[in-house]
Amino acid sequence: MSSSNQSKRKKITDSNLLLTITIVVFFLMYIGAILFQGKGFLKPQTFFNILNANAALLILSCGMSLVMITGGIDISVGGVTALVSMCCAVYLDFHDGNVLGAVAIALAIGLAFGIVQGFLVAYLDIQPFIVSLAGMFFARGMTTIVNTNPFNVANPEFVAMKDTRIVVPGMGSINKLGKYVNAYVEIGVIVAILVVIVLFIILKWTRLGRYFYAVGGNSQSALMLGINVKRTKFLSHLICSFLAGIGGFVYFMHVGSGAASHAMGAEMNAIASSIIGGTMLTGGVGNIIGTFFGVLSLSTIQNIVSSAGLDQAWWTGITIAAMLCLFLVVQSVVMTRKNKK
Amino acid sequence: MQTKKSNYTSISEMLGKLVKQQIFIPVAALLLLAIFNLIADPGFYKISYGVNSAGSPVLSGYLMTILDYGSELAILAVGMTLVTASSGGQDISVGAAIAIAGSVMLKFICGMNTPVIIAFLAACVVSMFFGAFNGVLVAHFKIQPMVATLILYTAGRSIAAWINNNELPIVSDPKFAYLGGFIPGIPIPTPFFIAAAVVIISLLVLRFTNLGLYTQAVGINESSSRLNGLNPAFIKFITFVILGLCVAVVGLIKVSRLSTINYSVIAKDIEMDAILAVALGGNALGGGKFNLAASIIGAYVIQFLTTTLYKFNVQSDALPAYKAVVVIFLVVISAPVVRDYISSIGKKISHKEVA
Amino acid sequence: MTNFKTSRYNETISLGDGIVKKSLLCLSLVAVCLLGVVYFGSVVKVDDAIQLEEDVTPDGIVIGFSQLGAESDWRTANTESMKAAFSEENGYELFFDDGQQKQENQIMAIRKFILQEVDYILLAPVKETGWETVLQEAKDAGIPVIIVDRMVDVADESLYVSWVGSDFELEGAKACEWLNTYTKVKNIPPEEIHIVNIQGTIGASAQIGRTASLETAARKNGWNLLAMKSGEYTQAKAREVMGSFLRKYDNINVVYCENDNEAFGAIEAIESAGRKVGSDIQNGEIMILSFDTTKAGLTDTLNGKIALDTECNPLLGPRVESMIQKIENGETIEKKVYVEENIFSTDKSVKMISIGNTGYPVTIITQDILDSRTY
Repeated sequence: MSSSNQSKRKKITDSNLLLTITIVVFFLMYIGAILFQGKGFLKPQTFFNILNANAALLILSCGMSLVMITGGIDISVGGVTALVSMCCAVYLDFHDGNVLGAVAIALAIGLAFGIVQGFLVAYLDIQPFIVSLAGMFFARGMTTIVNTNPFNVANPEFVAMKDTRIVVPGMGSINKLGKYVNAYVEIGVIVAILVVIVLFIILKWTRLGRYFYAVGGNSQSALMLGINVKRTKFLSHLICSFLAGIGGFVYFMHVGSGAASHAMGAEMNAIASSIIGGTMLTGGVGNIIGTFFGVLSLSTIQNIVSSAGLDQAWWTGITIAAMLCLFLVVQSVVMTRKNKK
Repeated sequence: MQTKKSNYTSISEMLGKLVKQQIFIPVAALLLLAIFNLIADPGFYKISYGVNSAGSPVLSGYLMTILDYGSELAILAVGMTLVTASSGGQDISVGAAIAIAGSVMLKFICGMNTPVIIAFLAACVVSMFFGAFNGVLVAHFKIQPMVATLILYTAGRSIAAWINNNELPIVSDPKFAYLGGFIPGIPIPTPFFIAAAVVIISLLVLRFTNLGLYTQAVGINESSSRLNGLNPAFIKFITFVILGLCVAVVGLIKVSRLSTINYSVIAKDIEMDAILAVALGGNALGGGKFNLAASIIGAYVIQFLTTTLYKFNVQSDALPAYKAVVVIFLVVISAPVVRDYISSIGKKISHKEVA
Repeated sequence: MTNFKTSRYNETISLGDGIVKKSLLCLSLVAVCLLGVVYFGSVVKVDDAIQLEEDVTPDGIVIGFSQLGAESDWRTANTESMKAAFSEENGYELFFDDGQQKQENQIMAIRKFILQEVDYILLAPVKETGWETVLQEAKDAGIPVIIVDRMVDVADESLYVSWVGSDFELEGAKACEWLNTYTKVKNIPPEEIHIVNIQGTIGASAQIGRTASLETAARKNGWNLLAMKSGEYTQAKAREVMGSFLRKYDNINVVYCENDNEAFGAIEAIESAGRKVGSDIQNGEIMILSFDTTKAGLTDTLNGKIALDTECNPLLGPRVESMIQKIENGETIEKKVYVEENIFSTDKSVKMISIGNTGYPVTIITQDILDSRTY
């Protein structure tokens, strides 16, 4: 009796409390947006537009959460996204490539970054922050080396794919001319949701998932339990960078161009989303559903700030940072209390 | 045979000692770069003497560029080394903090017409405040330094733009430009003197106070330093505040160079260079023992590298890729795992030779 | 054993209580944060929002304006001009969105405007290509789009109603023609003119137009165009580029900067290399030609550092406003509308230049003119 009670409460302390906060925040914010921003937010398409624009960020954040659960961090994901976009764009437009080839390039870049970074972090025991910082700078630099000037991809096959819309039934709305317009999402959103589901299953119900939590929670005891800590860390970085490759392609599909400035600061948004979603930087605690809501919260804030009609773009940065600060402090307080008990 | 062997060991011992010196890494890197440039194009070392628009004598050339821009980095490296040593992490918000410091300075000089010194002091206070903010997050809330400073990294440039209402005021006083340029009559760039002053002050502080010792103690083992009566949280906090002060000084130089500021571009990616300077100085990025002189040399080496790359017409946007390769190389060879591996190989070889 | 268990149990209870308190505290913190966000976000809009709900006035025209960013003084002046023109007093409601230099942000903003069912969409595009899909969406929703400042490159011109902005090629032509006239007045042979061009961000309309004009003029007049490189419209980058130009070529006497910020960077680089800027190129001075005529740029023109500053007028608000009034009244409007722009110099030797059959007077800049300008 007491033990089941105990475990229930324990769960609330860690992941679920933070998750609850995130979900509540998101709903409060969306309601606030409807109240203050008027009719635009009432149409489901506004929500789908947020999803469309942030599908890539969602994928990056999932990878980030995974790495953070194992106690690492990867700030190269934004750079990898830019590199993937640029390489795919160059391949499609300058080398008459096809879309399948572009997907292969994207995945290959992601894997390559994952293998190198994972090896350096897991087997050479170098701080993940330094490794991925170098990775980020390498990717950003390489992007300009591949091609300096931004350009839009004109490849017809790709453009057709970019403009493909998946209709969400029953969510449409009537526009100004009185016509019924279907609500839609882009292909990227489907990919992102698949990623969320797959990762959720891995983390929740597989042995590998448990390993990730165990290594992040306490790598010493994980080692004693016979878990291959190095391999687990390696895998987490590999998956994260691989997801960055997928996210990069989804991003590319959304914007349809290659540019060195693409996904600038995406890594920070991904980290912020994960933190807001209740993933702890110290490792061992985190939840993909939380990350999903973290991304939604973050992008809704951005949407609110930008549609509030302020030309002072700095409010976006400041509000995100304020939220981040709040969540970090809450996490820290939760952790300290837990340690004291 | 016997003599030969002892000779061999004494040389290798000496070499080993030399290599073990922390300062060896940055000096070796500096020499390597210097030799590379000498072979590639001796014109690199040409220093020409001219007169600038204000009519004062100036020295110009690649070496002067290194001295000039490396000084900013050297100042930052001082603060970053202390932060690294005490907290075992790095501050990634220095670039954003420089933007804030610069913005505060411009607000005071252009908005309120105060003298430069007051503007500078105000910038110092603001930077130290933001340093303290980072320090509290790290020391009191025990958040990893890189993540704690992520907050300021995200918000810093926005705050900088906000302070001046996104305007780009321009300082018209020509004397203000001396700080980032040349003082009339002195042909060496002023930032070098500022950096020298900062370095001397910090060396004196480390020499005559216990700050250095305490910092290392906290960095090596926080719990044992607490048992020895130190207050680790306070030491960490104070190193972040010191870094804030360094940031304000660099902000002064940066703003003086252009007489204005561009919030999104000023000191972009400088945090990477500052961290790199610390790493290149052979300091453990995980905290503990540190060597300030090595970091400072490291800073100039980085500028040397940057200038060399520029000279070979590497686009400024592509620069990070090359630097990243250097960083990875450095951290890999300094990783304990790799060092152990190399030394075990070395032992095997020497074992074989003896046998 | 039992003891141990009980103590654990007690701890859990107290921990549980703590959690309730903690979560309440956290929630209230979040609420405060949220309120803050909403407050900051709505500090300007609260009244509007309430009004929106109260009076869905049929006569108030709702405008959605997607501005590309706030990167320069020029852009800020442009934004302010729009905001002033579409104020509530003038019978408008303006939704403003800052794209922060990202095309995807702007596309998202336009989609948002469509969902908000605005009456008109104004778009100041960050780049020229990639707008077909979203403009088609606007057209399908029956919302007319007016393009401002930079051009969009779409095959179907019916996707937008009109374009308002500067004729960048004409701006470039004016600067070149001024240089041509000036050298003729001063008897400087064209082969003695050694120009370097610090280009704008490659691909921007202003860069394309201004560079094209310079290339044409150099070919036509026989000038020596030494090099072209992008300074990305920033002072720092231009300084770097100019520094490398000066090291490479020792005979530069004209620098063609594609905006004022680049001119500042070039001036710095020239002065720190020990050379002088000015229009007296026969005596070793380096002449700066610049664009945009920001306040700072004109100040440098007044003190002779910039030889010629060609205006690029950001005050497009009134012009766009009158066009919308025309559409409202059922009149037809032109597809391309250029704004009027002057050229400024302190040098009195050229009074008038002519391109084609049109003459353009050179405005001699004075402190009074400078003070009377709003940007």
